[in-house]
Amino acid sequence: MINKKICMLGAFSVGKTSLVERYVHSVFSDKYLSTIGVKISKKIITVADQEVSMILWDMEGRDIFTDVNINYLRGAMGFFVVADGTRAETLDTALELRALVLGKMGTIPNALLINKDDLADQWEISEDMLQQTAAEGITVFRTSAKTGQSVEEAFQSLAKAMLKVGRNV
Amino acid sequence: MTDTVNASPFSPEGREAESLHASPMPAAQTDEDSRPDTDTGAADTPSMEGEDSVYSAKDVAAPFYDRVSEAPSVSSGLWSDLPELPDDEELNRLRALLFQRELTIIQRLKDGLNDPRQNAKRVSEVIAEALLLRGDDDRLNTALEPTVNAILKSSLNRHQSDFVGVLFPLMGPSIRKSIAETFRSMLESFSKSLEMSFSWKGVRWRMEALRTGKPFSEIVLLHTLAYRVEQLFFIHSETGLVLSHLTNEGVGTQDADMVSAMLTAIQDFVRDCFISNSEGELESLHLGEFTIFIEKYSQAYLACVLRGTPPTGFREGLRATLETMLIEFAAPLESFSGDTAPFAGAARHLEPFLITRYRDEGKDLPWWGKALPLFALLILVGGIGSFQYYARELRQQQSAHVALMQKGLSFLRNEPGFMLTHVTQAADSPWEVMLLKDDLARTPDDVLRAHSFQPDAFTFKIIPYVSYDPSIVARRAENAIDLPPTVTIRFSHGTLVFTGTAPLAWIAGAKDTARTLPGVKHVDMSGVKDPLLDRITAMIQSIESADIEFPLGKAIPVPTDTPKLEAAVDTLVELERLVNDVGFVLTLTIYGHADAIGLERRNYEISQERARTVAAMLYARGSSIPIAMYGMGSQYPKGEKSSGQAVSAPKEDQASRRIELRVHIARPATSGVDIFTQ
Repeated sequence: MINKKICMLGAFSVGKTSLVERYVHSVFSDKYLSTIGVKISKKIITVADQEVSMILWDMEGRDIFTDVNINYLRGAMGFFVVADGTRAETLDTALELRALVLGKMGTIPNALLINKDDLADQWEISEDMLQQTAAEGITVFRTSAKTGQSVEEAFQSLAKAMLKVGRNV
Repeated sequence: MTDTVNASPFSPEGREAESLHASPMPAAQTDEDSRPDTDTGAADTPSMEGEDSVYSAKDVAAPFYDRVSEAPSVSSGLWSDLPELPDDEELNRLRALLFQRELTIIQRLKDGLNDPRQNAKRVSEVIAEALLLRGDDDRLNTALEPTVNAILKSSLNRHQSDFVGVLFPLMGPSIRKSIAETFRSMLESFSKSLEMSFSWKGVRWRMEALRTGKPFSEIVLLHTLAYRVEQLFFIHSETGLVLSHLTNEGVGTQDADMVSAMLTAIQDFVRDCFISNSEGELESLHLGEFTIFIEKYSQAYLACVLRGTPPTGFREGLRATLETMLIEFAAPLESFSGDTAPFAGAARHLEPFLITRYRDEGKDLPWWGKALPLFALLILVGGIGSFQYYARELRQQQSAHVALMQKGLSFLRNEPGFMLTHVTQAADSPWEVMLLKDDLARTPDDVLRAHSFQPDAFTFKIIPYVSYDPSIVARRAENAIDLPPTVTIRFSHGTLVFTGTAPLAWIAGAKDTARTLPGVKHVDMSGVKDPLLDRITAMIQSIESADIEFPLGKAIPVPTDTPKLEAAVDTLVELERLVNDVGFVLTLTIYGHADAIGLERRNYEISQERARTVAAMLYARGSSIPIAMYGMGSQYPKGEKSSGQAVSAPKEDQASRRIELRVHIARPATSGVDIFTQ
């Protein structure tokens, strides 16, 4: 069995926990519950005939990313930064968090998830901004925890990337 | 040797230079073949670093190194076996013409080899590579070890503070951690016993200790042994991913991966929130009766979930096992990227820790149970009083019983002819007594009854034996000897003393019997008198003292002494009858004496005749006394007993012409024990 530690980072209320809930338990709740510290979930998936156990560290949302809990990140083999499509500033936070983690952890598989695609009409993040971000070599997914859109896909893609890294080691 | 080269640059080396010119390497090889005794090691050196321009000079130099140089620093002996070339002038010139350039090169190389600075430079250029080439060669280590040791020693001495500065940050935390760990363990066990002392459990165990008479610490140990290790996690420290997970039987568990991640997160959380900047680790979590022990190292940690209180040393064992595992799995831990397969063997280390110790603890305490310590205290205070009263009563009862039994035993101990060897005490059954008992002693039951003691209190195991107790010996004597009512016996200090009057025969028989009795060392019969004995003694006295003299040369007494002789003979006859009556035998010895006058042969004859006269008179009166007669001649003049010392000059005295009578009384058919001697 291959185990992988994956961290979910992002500003508060962008939907990290909801994405995990959707991915792991296929449920969604509108109720907002602020995560304190970290919440652990697990999902076993099969990638290229290999069972992978994904241990998801759903971390407390922080706007002030500078004091993001480095200890929780330790040993992470992949991570998602999550932004809220309806709040442009969360993208900045996500990108800065991404840079911070990569700086601390070295290059590990990661992806940017722009959540709340179901509220596309309220989005502040334009398609141009996403294109620009993708152009920088960042994997971007437009996801919706509510509808489940691209959630499975995003996790699957990260798992693949991590397995590839794992095999190279 | 150097001057040889200078004076004659063409000689021996010329041959080598020849081949060198064309191609250094093969030339060297050729020479190698022709002279196998040359050093092959040096020839190898250049080829290894051939590409490197730095070593090119040496490449050329090397073949010469062996052969050309005659420098004292290099083994010049290698060339000593080269044949001398003929010192032909023409040949030399030819050499100069042909090989001038080469000879110059050779000379320069030789000079170079002799230059210590150049040598040092060359060595310095290759020393690192050379050491690398040697690799793991132990001989190199052995050679360098003393030097390195010396360097280290002197360096440590000179730069102590530098070393401390470097080492302390490295070792300090480990030492601190170790010390802190020791103190923590100590405190843990200390606080545990403290807790036990003041809790309800503690009170209950104290009572148990009182009841069973075991030390309190043992009771605590007995109870604290009950615990169960429910789960064991072997977790990668950095990722929090579980490497190995074991659960005890019947333990419902959450997903191990999630638990281990959360456990890791909790540790991070605690450190971040409360003890940031500290090197401490979260070492245990407590929740009700559950405890989670965490033994952590930077590579991996063990989390042990257990119910109850583990014994002392459990954590230490856990830590030691973790350390072993860290060594065994060092490589897979280092390169861990999520694959747990290499850690399959970890379970083997952890399984021994899945321990279950069952204990009948009963159900959880109901509400009132919580107040029990208070009740217990009250009951205890009240109880101690009544208990002590009861205990005193009981003790008194018990001690009274024991005292009574001991008294009974003392009766038995003091009884003559008894010897108590072993007593088995029992609280509520008769005491068993092992007893040596003389046949003549009373029965133990009689003894006890005699002291108004209930014989049922004891059971006896009796072994017969012979007692030397004075009263028993006296009883034994009384039993063995048929005592006439006129005789009493007394036994003291090993002597059996008889007193009273009894016939002679009895006295003699009793004396013999008494001597054979166990415990009797001496027999005193002097206190027993036979009335007849006085008479016999008087008669013997009168017989033996009869003073009968004879005229010179005659066997008939002087007329005045004839009645004396007759009286003596009459007494003898009467004595014989008396003695025979009591069963004894009378014997008589007659000694005849003579004076020294005349021939001694005649004196012997007359002394014998005088004795025979007495015997004849006895026989004439019908006596059958056995008589022994001796004619003593003149050896024993008057005044000396015949059995006494001889006197040298016999006296010509009538008093010496006499007879002597000696009476003996003996028991018939015995060894002739004289009853008159004690």
